[in-house]
Amino acid sequence: MTTYIAGWGVLGPGLPDARAARAVLLGERPYRDEGVRPPVVEGLSANEARRCPTSARYALDVGWQALRDAGWDPAGVVTVLASASGDLEIADKNCQALARSEIALSPTLFHNSVHNAAGGYWGIATASQASTTSLSAYDASFAAGLLEALTTVAPGRRCLLMAYDFPAPAAFAAARRISAPFAVALALTADRPAGPCASLSWQWTRCDQAVVFAGMTDAALEALRVGNSAARSLPLLQGLSERRATTLSWADAADMDWGLCVTLSFAP
Amino acid sequence: MDSRLAMTRYTLTTAFGRGLSANRAGLLSGRSVLSRHILADGTGCAVGRVAGLEGVGLPGALARYDCRNNRLVQYALEADGFASAVAAAVRTLGAEGIGVVIGTSTSGIAATEAAYRSPRFAEHSVLPADFPYRETHNVFSCGDFTRRLLGVRGPALVVSTACSSSAKAFATAARLIASGVCRAVVVGGVDSLCDTTLYGFHALNLLARGDPRPFGADRDGIGIGEAAGFALLGPADLFGKDAPLRLAAAGESADAYHMTAPHPEARGAVMALAGALAGAGWRPETVDYVHLHGTGTAHNDAAEDLALTTVGLAAVPASSTKGAIGHTLGAAGICGVVFAALAMEENLLPGTANTRVPDPRFRSRLLLSGESGSIRRALVNTFGFGGSNCCLALAWDA
Repeated sequence: MTTYIAGWGVLGPGLPDARAARAVLLGERPYRDEGVRPPVVEGLSANEARRCPTSARYALDVGWQALRDAGWDPAGVVTVLASASGDLEIADKNCQALARSEIALSPTLFHNSVHNAAGGYWGIATASQASTTSLSAYDASFAAGLLEALTTVAPGRRCLLMAYDFPAPAAFAAARRISAPFAVALALTADRPAGPCASLSWQWTRCDQAVVFAGMTDAALEALRVGNSAARSLPLLQGLSERRATTLSWADAADMDWGLCVTLSFAP
Repeated sequence: MDSRLAMTRYTLTTAFGRGLSANRAGLLSGRSVLSRHILADGTGCAVGRVAGLEGVGLPGALARYDCRNNRLVQYALEADGFASAVAAAVRTLGAEGIGVVIGTSTSGIAATEAAYRSPRFAEHSVLPADFPYRETHNVFSCGDFTRRLLGVRGPALVVSTACSSSAKAFATAARLIASGVCRAVVVGGVDSLCDTTLYGFHALNLLARGDPRPFGADRDGIGIGEAAGFALLGPADLFGKDAPLRLAAAGESADAYHMTAPHPEARGAVMALAGALAGAGWRPETVDYVHLHGTGTAHNDAAEDLALTTVGLAAVPASSTKGAIGHTLGAAGICGVVFAALAMEENLLPGTANTRVPDPRFRSRLLLSGESGSIRRALVNTFGFGGSNCCLALAWDA
């Protein structure tokens, strides 16, 4: 089955949105790590926005970007949220509280500590009751999320994939390195959008060495790709920006040679 | 052709004990096996603890995965010949054709909780570089450990949507099979006792002071349990000949309302139940049994009762096993599936341990004690934080 990419969004260091990312990935302007724009929290009441954790901020920002790019209403759009490590800032605060002699966890930090917190806030922000699935496959989380999204899409069943990760707090820095925040969203549909569009065909297969990605040309972008599981999407974003037919694969793990293999093409 | 999915093998380890026989006996007994646990501030609560995990030893090559959660995974996988059945499937289907989808809420976070209490952490305030975060605390740890222990090489991922996690794992696994990615999937759920959930639910004032009494007039909260369970899921026409248990459909939805409170009109739960019924092609009156989410909190049980009534399931016998083994959080879905399967095997409509008087405002048909009855069609409800709902439709084709 062919799946169409109706829109996308991105937020990372020096990549404040899809338009800016496209210019960088096309080589129209050099990549510079200018820090990360604060994510925009849209759709929540003031109270919910105050409680909204970092994970949900990133998901909401790129999710809305992709919906706008696709021209979709969020109602009825199934969501998949992929994150390797979730919110370690919250885990750090909770574990600190649990290590004290007088234990008092924050109720808000506890309910925000669930891996699907971002999915919960997405529902509250969009009022969409469509199914939402949050998952992790460690550093293979982007491809696992894409696989879940691709198997979810069906005629009349749109899917929005949101993948995000951000650096761990100091206590985790030696045990879990995530180099910089990065979030990406893809709006996927089985129904061909009007006008020129990108499409994907895909399979789970042995990853042929011929299509193993050599790395981003720019060393700083390559460091970003390797340093954050969500940024493993950068080669796909590059293909989307260049509107160039290409085949990409994501091996499931360093010691597993099977993985998701995707061929990107463009219909006029 | 039978387009549904068959569960050829399944296993479950809970506070009732290890494997199907212990859980069958526990279900038939109608008893609660919860024990008392005292929190640091002196508050008492009920927990459903799995005995024997202290003695579980992981294979040397997987030593870095050692934590209570993964010990529970291994202890459960090696019961009922489940791991051997997967090994046989690897020989016939190939390791690459078998995926792993596990549901968990807190994975092995207890390892990090313990590390934060160590003298070394008190001194340096950082986890050491050799701390096995990836292999213990990380959400994916239990899925990674499962696939490495079983030697399967298909896609592996962990679904983490709080208390609906392992029910939703079945829905994801079904998609992997329907799309042709996998020929079979090891589906499971695991959560183990840890202070994050004990003190977290305490902070939310959701822990029962005594034993949890799901759907009871005097219910006052949950008791947390731990459990791991697994099922081998594959196309019914490929290997369902001798296995009567079918996954007929899954209904998934979001409340889109609040992080912890269910929607007052139960709209998300209604959508999940209606989705499961529609997916299975069942009218509500043809369902024989509902394994309730039935946590024992005031609002959750009220919303679930309303959902059952709204969808037309009010007359269907229903019960909760959380008074017996506790709320196993991310493992609640697999517990519901295996308890429903055991009930189908035994022609038993299970009761609701601990609950004496059902909430008089409720209109659904709660079974207080077990009675005999044939179950050919069952629903398994799960509802989680973040408004994540999943209802599984199970059929028994004996």
